[in-house]
Amino acid sequence: MEKILIIEDDKSLAKELSLFLSNSGYGVKCIKEFNDVVGQMLADDSDLILLDIGLPGENGEVILREFRKKKETPVIMLTSRTGEVDEVLSMSYGADDYVTKPCNPTILLLHISAVLKRSSKTSQTRMYKDIQVSSVSGSLVKGDKEQVLTKNEMLIFQMLLDHEGEIVSRDDLMTVLWNNDEFVNDNALSVNISRLRNKLAELGLEDSIETRKKQGYVLK
Amino acid sequence: MTLRDYLRDKIAVYAIRLVALMIVVLFLYVFKTDFQAIGTIVFIAVAVEIVVTVYDFIKRKGFYDSFENSLQGLDKKYLVTEMVKTPEFLDGKIFYDSLFECNKSMAEQVAEYRRQNREFREYIEIWVHEVKIPIATMRLMCRNNPDSDERMVSQLKRVDDDIENVLFYARSEDAGKDFIIKEIPLKKVFSNVALKNKDALLEQNVSLETENLNACVMTDGKWLEYILGQLMSNSMKYAANDRALSIRVSAEVEGKKTILHFEDNGKGIAAEDIPYIFEKSFTGTNGHEESKATGMGLYIVKNMCNCLGIKIDCESRRDEYTRFNLTFL
Repeated sequence: MEKILIIEDDKSLAKELSLFLSNSGYGVKCIKEFNDVVGQMLADDSDLILLDIGLPGENGEVILREFRKKKETPVIMLTSRTGEVDEVLSMSYGADDYVTKPCNPTILLLHISAVLKRSSKTSQTRMYKDIQVSSVSGSLVKGDKEQVLTKNEMLIFQMLLDHEGEIVSRDDLMTVLWNNDEFVNDNALSVNISRLRNKLAELGLEDSIETRKKQGYVLK
Repeated sequence: MTLRDYLRDKIAVYAIRLVALMIVVLFLYVFKTDFQAIGTIVFIAVAVEIVVTVYDFIKRKGFYDSFENSLQGLDKKYLVTEMVKTPEFLDGKIFYDSLFECNKSMAEQVAEYRRQNREFREYIEIWVHEVKIPIATMRLMCRNNPDSDERMVSQLKRVDDDIENVLFYARSEDAGKDFIIKEIPLKKVFSNVALKNKDALLEQNVSLETENLNACVMTDGKWLEYILGQLMSNSMKYAANDRALSIRVSAEVEGKKTILHFEDNGKGIAAEDIPYIFEKSFTGTNGHEESKATGMGLYIVKNMCNCLGIKIDCESRRDEYTRFNLTFL
């Protein structure tokens, strides 16, 4: 389980954020004291840090710059300030990503998993049961049988695979597709899913994507 | 200042002097003074009067003409005291010094209001960032609570949008410090806007089409996102009733220029309204049908485009299409 350290001074927001992230399968820790934030960050062994910019005392950007001198843990800046200035500054101080509050929670998750993937440098090929999933070539391989997925189908399948055994809502799938510049509508999503089902069936995996009425889909 | 105007202004003085001269001549005549002596006295008096008048006229004309010329040539009229020399004559000096005092006091007043305005703007900026924290918290609460309602999320989105309007209105009225011009890929900007409005777009079943958005432009990404967001929300507000809304965004590069087209197939804008759509508080025919129109959206957009050096114009045909063209130089 990957661990995330939350540095956010607003107590209610920090609470909701940690609840949300732990529901999404991450280990979460929050900083309670804001005296020596850099020291606490350095002492922590989390895989990723969510850092608020508007902290009491020292500004998040200053903290980030101090922290970066000593450690390379990925940091996502979290801020309510909508401005290019803050973003450029944060990125130049070594932030890995920049998310403005309030944002769609699913998008926050996508940003987190993208940053974690980048830092862990895992191979691009994953396994689902006895199928090789290659996101680079966009194909599913089982023995000598191969199915080539379209970009949309691959995005959907990866999202389901990331949450294997859990319900993924249509809205989440939609967010993933739109986040990748595929502005599909409801019908197109249904079509994509049924095509994906057919392709999985070709590889001998009938009914692997189950529909949960009014909730979403589950990859079993 | 013409001689005629000057003399007309002095006519009472000359009349009194003439009467006085006539009384003197009468006295001299009564005391049987020599006619030649009377003639000489009258000649000297008139000659002195002419010399004094011409001297005084030239002195005043010099000052007031340069004053009027400077005033006419100035864009900011209150700077006129900086342009003319202090006059040599007493009433001119009094006038000049008073004007200087007036200007100074006005400048202080303006500076005071400017300061208040800036402080208010800074407060708005801080307030907006403050209020976004509870919105973010509520957004997460909606997500964390399994029984929560989608409608709540969409209302939160509305609150957030309206707050953003205030922020960008404040920013666009006092620009210069809050943006960074750098190379921005149009694709990224548009996909952020689309993603932000995803729920509303899906709800209305809008089809989005993009073409050739690989171009990059030099601008501030956040500001451009807001501008496109406004255009998109207008498209959704003024969609035609009889057909599904479709929005098409495309870019073309012409030499150094990049033109971004934002087109929808909505209600369109009446031809007589088009020249006024960017004006403050203008709501037009469409706005009257729609109670939500404030007439601020496009005004802010235009303001922001001016700050960023983007040329924006609009073409439309009623019940067919509306197309906004943004030209980046």
